[in-house]
This record gives sequence, structure tokens and C-alpha cells, in this order.
Amino acid sequence: MQRILDMAIKDLRVLSRDLLGAFFIVGFPILMGLFFGSMMGGIGGDSDSTSKMQLAVVDLDNSEMSAKFISALGENQNLELIPGELEPSKEKVRKGSLVGVLVLAEDFGDSVGLFWDEPPEIQLGMDPSRGAESAMIQGFVMQSVGAMASERFADPNEFRNVITDAKTEIKNDQDMSFLNRQLQSAFLNSVEGMIDSVEKMQTADADPDGETDDAVISGGNFEFAKITSLDITRNTESSDTPSKKVNLRSKWDISFPQAMLWGVLGCIAGFSASIAREKTQGTMMRLQVAPVSKFDVVAGKGLACFIAVIFVVALMTALGMALGMRPGSYLNLGIATVSVGFCFVGLMILLSTVGKTEQSVNSVVWMCNMVMAMIGGCMIPVAFMSGFIRQLSFLSPVRWAIVAIEGAIWRDFSLAEMVFPCSILLGVGAVSIVLGSVLLSRKLG
Amino acid sequence: MANTGEVMVEAKGLVKNFGPLRAVDDFSISIKPGETLGLLGPNGAGKSTTIGMMVGLIRPDSGSVNIGSSSKPGDRTANETIGQPSQPAVRKRIGVAPQALSLYEELSAKENLEFFAKLYNLRGAKLSERVNWALDFSGLQDRKRDLVGKFSGGMKRRMNIAVALIHEPEVLLLDEPTVGVDPQSRNHIFESIEQLQSAGLTILYTTHYMEEAQRLCDRVAIMDQGKLLAVDTVDGLLSAYGGKSIVTAELKAGSSTDNLPGTFAENKIRFESDKPLDDVAQLSGRGVNFQTLHIAQADLESVFLSLTGRSLRD
Repeated sequence: MQRILDMAIKDLRVLSRDLLGAFFIVGFPILMGLFFGSMMGGIGGDSDSTSKMQLAVVDLDNSEMSAKFISALGENQNLELIPGELEPSKEKVRKGSLVGVLVLAEDFGDSVGLFWDEPPEIQLGMDPSRGAESAMIQGFVMQSVGAMASERFADPNEFRNVITDAKTEIKNDQDMSFLNRQLQSAFLNSVEGMIDSVEKMQTADADPDGETDDAVISGGNFEFAKITSLDITRNTESSDTPSKKVNLRSKWDISFPQAMLWGVLGCIAGFSASIAREKTQGTMMRLQVAPVSKFDVVAGKGLACFIAVIFVVALMTALGMALGMRPGSYLNLGIATVSVGFCFVGLMILLSTVGKTEQSVNSVVWMCNMVMAMIGGCMIPVAFMSGFIRQLSFLSPVRWAIVAIEGAIWRDFSLAEMVFPCSILLGVGAVSIVLGSVLLSRKLG
Repeated sequence: MANTGEVMVEAKGLVKNFGPLRAVDDFSISIKPGETLGLLGPNGAGKSTTIGMMVGLIRPDSGSVNIGSSSKPGDRTANETIGQPSQPAVRKRIGVAPQALSLYEELSAKENLEFFAKLYNLRGAKLSERVNWALDFSGLQDRKRDLVGKFSGGMKRRMNIAVALIHEPEVLLLDEPTVGVDPQSRNHIFESIEQLQSAGLTILYTTHYMEEAQRLCDRVAIMDQGKLLAVDTVDGLLSAYGGKSIVTAELKAGSSTDNLPGTFAENKIRFESDKPLDDVAQLSGRGVNFQTLHIAQADLESVFLSLTGRSLRD
């Protein structure tokens, strides 16, 4: 063990003096984290997604109007609505399976599309990494609520009944002032008159498209709906300090897991090439001549790489925290880090066997890194990928590494929930270590 | 000076093929404790492959290598250190300075020495002692904190040898230790090797420079195309394969020219001789006056030429 430790220390020392290598392990990931974090901090971003956004819809109202609203929203080409219960839907959003969850309150149908009533409350809980789509979805929701107002006009008789009910309600309201009662009654009378006009227009086969609908949707100084934010991730305690509440859902929560992975990929590139370098510079021969087993050599490299990965994640965590990131669970972050380290040490050993020279190993490793990073969500969030690529991303260890780290930082995974991604990482690591060690052992002769 | 009777390194019938190429062909040799054996041959003769087999890095297709009983009194009965160099305990008794500079350029001289010493379980005071010895030996004490990557070629070569000696091996294999070094460093290396010889180290020294073999080696093995052609002392090789010395001279005007050996034309004489100095003295006594005189003695180059029909540097 002492020899393995000696070799690991030597490798870390060599790595620390390779400025370019150190940049790819530390500097580059920091830049990536800051860059993506800054991008996510904004509200904008082109949300030209190549597939439909999957949005959970929880209908607590279960009324005819809520069904019509869901139907209207479902006609949007950019959305795929998944009906469900509140907690399971929130869970799916939290795990990144769905882009968000829309909750229709119990009295949704009573007030939607009515101008004189309080606007219906709609809760929207978004995956924090999908900030760019949040505004877009809010727009779609508003559009559909507007369609509900139009729906009210579509059946004049039913709408007259609603107005009649409203008039009766106003008449019986003893607390309402005289002036207010007169104003509201006058408003309802004018709406009733407008319905008559609409009915006449419809009877006369007037064109119902365009301006009429738009006027209904955009006209007037009223709110179609009150969209409130639903926190799908962390439950804040009432005792939490304001600063803690402010720091929750920091944009850095989202960008730093990706940045950590860039650092990890830098580590495996550096250490994979170092094995080839040992051969080309002749030091491998010296190690082999010394009473050191092949296992010691491989284990020394693996340990050094593992320590470097831990260091990178710790450094990025510290930097992220300085910027406002707050890991949800340090225990889970530790578990995720160890799993990620184990997985990528295995990949490092495996990839180190693919070339003869330092240059060829470097080229192959970075090529593999780029593919893993691209389909794994290190460059473009998985959510923006097409369905096929999104399925393919499950093959990338980077995807599982990001899931595990995000689970620890902001997806609030329980220990049980950490098991799945971490098991995959550990499994990939174990297979890679065994396969890589056998191949490397043969290569060393 | 070599001890007699015992054998420190013994190679028997070594054969190594790389595909269709036979790199080493039935190579057998034995080296006595304290002896310096030169392995002389052109590039591609199979010297490095032979070294690789001798340290257990390359497995021979047939034949065997054995490291004999220790020259250290305390180790004589330690049977586990006797045998094939593929065994780690046996390999500990060998130090290797490969032809390629096998050093970490990103580490300092001291860090390199410490790292390799630790692989041999040297710790604490012993570690410091050996590192200091190696720095003194290589003449790099004042540069110990400098990164090896900043060293000159000669300094790296010295460092390469020092690392090979850090664990006090009994057998030292030096593979072309002076390739690409300046004359000053070459001299330093020669002096260092002579110092090791005085300390009784057994050395196998591969080179394609005959002057190095002549200066440093007790015996010289000549190798070409994987085969061992001859092994003997330098004098023995010269005597057996070197041929006669060649004397060329220009005579003074009026000098006697009666019964001159060899060829004589334009007042110049050229002849071959087993004892050139005796023959020149005899001619001088007969009234032959020399304006210029040049005696070309046989050397390992001519031995190699005689054995292979081509020059060592072809």
C-alpha cells in the first residue's frame, strides 16, 4: 500500500507541475461553470427545443372547464401533457424526467375566463435547470386561459346563466356597498349585451376568427390567471434564515455539476496519457525493474486519479458555495463524488490502453470525453436533446454522474434515490477497472 | 578487479524473436563478481534486448538468466535472492540505467531519487543518506532542487546512473550510458564508473564506442545481429582478431634504403608487423632515418572488422 501511495503522490506532483494539464482539470471547468451559470441566470435563451416539453398536469378541480383548459393546452405543439397526481408529478420533475408540473386549483373552473371574478390560481413548478422554458410555458398557459374566456362566449346561453348567477350573488351580498353593487350590475348588464351582439354575429355567419378572439384575450385590464411558483425541489423550513432562502435555487446549483464533470474528464485525460508517457519516457521500465507489481503501478495511477477527482469536486463545491450554491446533502454529495471518482478512474485505466503514444492516447481520450460529455448533458442540457439522443444519453457515464451530483446538490435525492445512479457509476467503474487492468497488464508485458 | 571462481550473472542460450526477426540468438555469457563486461556491437545488434532479458523485463523464448550468490557476506545464504531476475527479490540486486533517460522531468533531482528509493523501501535516515550519496555521486548536489527537465543532456545521463544506484545494487547494467553527452560529462561518467569498479560492483556495459570498452571493461563481448561473436579481454581480442599493426614512415634524404620491409615509394615506407616498435628500432639501427613515423595498432574496430567483415559504425 505504501508503494501505491508513493506512486500516487508522485503522479499528483507531476500533474501539479503540468500547467496545461492543471488548466484542463481546474481552470477550464471553472470557466465552464461560470459561463453556463451566467447563461442560466438570465431568463432568456432560445428554447427552440427539438422535442415536446413534457409537462405534468395535476387537475385538482376535475371540472368541465378544467378539462377544456387541459384540452386547449394540450393542443399546443410544443407541449406534451402528462396527467398525474401532485406528489408523484413533483417527484418526476425533481428527478429531471419532466420539465415541470402545472397544478389547477380546486376552484379553477369557477373563475377561469370570467372577467369580474378573482383570476384562477395556477401553480407552475419548473425544473430549475429548465429556466429558459419557464417563461414560454407561462405564455402557453395564459394563451389557454384566454381560450377559456373565449369558451365562455362560445355558448351564450350557458354564459347568460353564469351572469344571472353572478347578478343574484351581488344582489344577495349584504356587505357590498351600494355604489359597488351598481357598478358591478352595470358591468354584468353590458357583458350580457355583448353576448347578445356576439350571438347575432354568429347567427349572421360572421367570421369568428382573428380580431374577435384576440380582442377577448388581450382586451381589458384584467388578469386571465394568477400563475404562482411551485417549489418542486426543496422544502424550506419557516425557521430558515432569509439568506438561506435566497440562496436556494442558485443558478450555480445548476451549472456547477456540469463544471465538475469537465474537471473529472480533465483528470481522466491527464492520467490516461500519463501511463503512455511513462512508457515513452522510459520510466515504466524503471518501475518494472523495481520490485513493484503491475497492480501497484495501475493502483498508484488509479489512486492519484481518484484523489484528483475528489479534489476537483471539492474545489468546485467550495467555489460554487462562495457564489451561492448550497448542496442539499453533503453526505449525498460525498457518496456521489466517490461513485463518480470510482467510475472515472475505471474509465481512465481502460482508455489508457487504447494508444501507444501519449499523443494517441490523448486524442482518443478527448474524443471519448467529448462524446460522453455531449450526449451526457455536459455541453447541452439533456432536456434540449431529441428523443433518440436523450435515450442514448443513458449510455453516457457523464449523464449518471450529473444526475448523482445534481441529486445531492439540488434535486434533494434521498439516500435510496442516490442508489440507482451511484450503482450505475460503480458498476461502470468496476467493469472498466477489471477490463482496463487486464488490457494494461498485457500491454506492459 | 574481478574475483575469480564465482559467477554473479549467468546467461545460458538466450533466444528472443520479435516476429520473423531473431533479435538474440543463442547468447550465453557469465560475469564474475566485481567484473566489468563490455557488450560491444553496432546499433541493432541485440544489446538492449539482451539487457532486457537480464533484468527480467523481456521473457526469453528459450534460455535462462541467473543472478548468482550475493557478494555481500550477510546475503550469502539468502537463497531467495539467487535465481532468475523475474523474481522481485532477485531484481532488487540489479540496478539499470536504460538507454532512454528514464526520469520524471517534472520532478527535481532530489524528488526523482527519493521516489525511486522509496520503491525499494528505503525510508527515514537511510533514504536521506542514499539520496545524498547519489547527488554527490552524480555531481548534482547543488542542483538537487532543480527540475530534471531543465538539466543538460550530460546531467540527465549522470542522474540516470545515480537513480540506478540508489538502492545499492550489486549488479549494474548500463545501456549506452554516454549517448549524446558532451566530453566533460562523458569524462565524469567514466570516472564515476571507475569509482564503482573500485567499490567492487559487477557491471555490464553496453556500448558501440570501442574506446569506452577499451578503457572501462575487463572483458569485452562482441555482438552482431543477435549473436555473440567473441568474448575475451581487450588484449586477448586484439591478439586473436586484431591483426598486425601497420607502420608508415617518410624517410630523411640520404637515409639507407637497403632491405626495407613492405613497400617503398617516393621516399615513403609501409609495412605490417606483430611487433612494430621492435621492428622500427631495428631499422633505425641499420641507418634508416625517419622524417615522420606512424604506427597504427590493432584496436576493437579492427577486431570487429575482422569478425564481421564490416565496420562497427556501419
